[in-house]
Amino acid sequence: MSAVDDPTAGHPAPGSEPDGSGLPVEAAPIDAETAAAVRAAAPRPDRFRPAAAGWIGRGVVWAALAWVVLCLPGNIASPVSLSATEARGASEAVVFAIIGLSLNVLIGYAGQISLGHQAFVGIGAFTSAFVVTELGQEFWLGVIVAALVGALQALLLGGVALRVTGLYFALITLSYGVMVQQSLFNVESLTGGVAGRDAPLPTGVSSAYGYYYVCLGLLALVLWLDWRLTRTKAGRALLAVRENPRVAATLGIDIRGYTVLAFMVSGFFAGIGGALFAHRDGFVVAEPFTFQLALIFIIMTVVGGLRSRSGVVLGSAFFALMGDGILLKLLRLEGFFENVVKLPSEFVPLVLGPLLLLLTLTLYPGGIGQQVAPVRGWLLGGRFDRHAGAVKEVQVTDVRA
Amino acid sequence: MALLEVRDLVVGYGPHPVLHGVSLDIEAGETCVLFGLNGAGKTTTVSAIAGLLAPSSGTITFDGQPIAGRPAAALVASGISLSPEGRRVFARLTVEQNLQLGGWVRRKDAAVARTQRQLVFDYFPRLAERGDQVAGTLSGGEQQMLAIGRALMSQPRLLLVDEASLGLSPTVARTVFEVMDRINDDGTTVLIVEQNAGVLPYADRVLIMEKGTLVFTGVGDEIRDADLRSTYLGA
Repeated sequence: MSAVDDPTAGHPAPGSEPDGSGLPVEAAPIDAETAAAVRAAAPRPDRFRPAAAGWIGRGVVWAALAWVVLCLPGNIASPVSLSATEARGASEAVVFAIIGLSLNVLIGYAGQISLGHQAFVGIGAFTSAFVVTELGQEFWLGVIVAALVGALQALLLGGVALRVTGLYFALITLSYGVMVQQSLFNVESLTGGVAGRDAPLPTGVSSAYGYYYVCLGLLALVLWLDWRLTRTKAGRALLAVRENPRVAATLGIDIRGYTVLAFMVSGFFAGIGGALFAHRDGFVVAEPFTFQLALIFIIMTVVGGLRSRSGVVLGSAFFALMGDGILLKLLRLEGFFENVVKLPSEFVPLVLGPLLLLLTLTLYPGGIGQQVAPVRGWLLGGRFDRHAGAVKEVQVTDVRA
Repeated sequence: MALLEVRDLVVGYGPHPVLHGVSLDIEAGETCVLFGLNGAGKTTTVSAIAGLLAPSSGTITFDGQPIAGRPAAALVASGISLSPEGRRVFARLTVEQNLQLGGWVRRKDAAVARTQRQLVFDYFPRLAERGDQVAGTLSGGEQQMLAIGRALMSQPRLLLVDEASLGLSPTVARTVFEVMDRINDDGTTVLIVEQNAGVLPYADRVLIMEKGTLVFTGVGDEIRDADLRSTYLGA
């Protein structure tokens, strides 16, 4: 540090000698209040406030977004009529968004990768179906139990497995996922075996359209919890652990404790996602909960953009809609992959995913979140800053496992 | 009884020991300087004291309690705080957030956080001006001040500063040493790892390490050995 390259040389603090050291050489310490007053008095750029036309423009875009999300899949004030299948596809997009946020907590905040998330989602689905059909309880209780079972699972697995981190932890979760898939999902008394288990729609919800709003409500809850998590001391501790675990330890932060906590929150969200998964179809079987699904979950989260809630939601929804072909239908490209590329639509995410992942890791480490950051900032009343969410705010090393 | 007593400390990475039986005492209220060339084992010593490395043998006693092998988190709570080598501030967090994290073990007591922050800002007024600036954009000297300030947030009784002056200009290094002296005058015991002889006027006692053992303990003026003088003091 020297006086020459010191950006604050223009307005030195009272009491500090102009020797460039930034410290009072004579004993003339200034207290924090004086310093705060100096800070407040220093000229600051005015906060940007959009003009009236700007607010109208933002309002129009918000209204359009709200219409697409709230009205279109529910056939309210919607010019096109969507079939119940398509409404279920929209629900799946919302469920995927919840699962994406679940992985975001683990990968984005705690810097650990779970390759066994199909187990968490699947166990959530079977738990909720079990609570509703076998125990005769309400849907809501099913969701709560599924979420708690998810957190408990993460506590038990993480309590042991998080003694190791990175690649080895990923390996343990991989084995755990495959083990659950091969053993637990085939226990007939729990899962109903090959026939599966009934998972009826919640009482008071009569159609796939109504169920979509149930999913949307729970996504809002998950987003709120996630936002709270990043604003608390736990969020700050996780940030410190990810930035530099060694230094975090010297400050007295319990690294393993907070990593397990993040894993538990991740399991909690995955449980909610699993429960919603089950009741969407009316029944649940073990067949979809394979390692392939876990792979899609990770790809959609990373492509969505770690630590960007909006990016993860968009990325997850994109992969869900791509998987069941609804996105292509909306784009009037129905049958493009089947007929032109000769690829069944359920394999599209598995082929497209790695390509998008490659693009993300090499060119846009912030993923979709990085792409939409300027729009997001604008919608929240800021300037349209092309450079918002630039690479400096994300680290490629995050996804190194 | 000394505040910190280290006896026959052996620490290594893998099977190869780096410290071969180091014994040292730090009395309450003094400023100790641990001198030595690169690779002498200085950082290994303070890392073991701070609980970042588990010793393979030997004892470390802090305030009468054996602490060797206890986790770093527990040691911060009992009053040992480390400002790590290479000013490892959290570059993407603000100065304020860095300080908050420094006071992690006292996080339930808002009053302590307030008084400690006030204290840090008294020592380093520059940090008060930069409260909401991202730490990665601070100058090298300011980052070092932040690293020391962050370590002070947990109200330590023993402050370990690894390489206080590394990469700083002589003027800034001197002012950092002066503040370390004030911190010590205010009652905190200080152990500074250094390679810069400019720290000697502020030291109550000097320890010199070579190849994993202590070769000298005493007051700076007592360094009579011509070899040591030429190696460490350039005289």
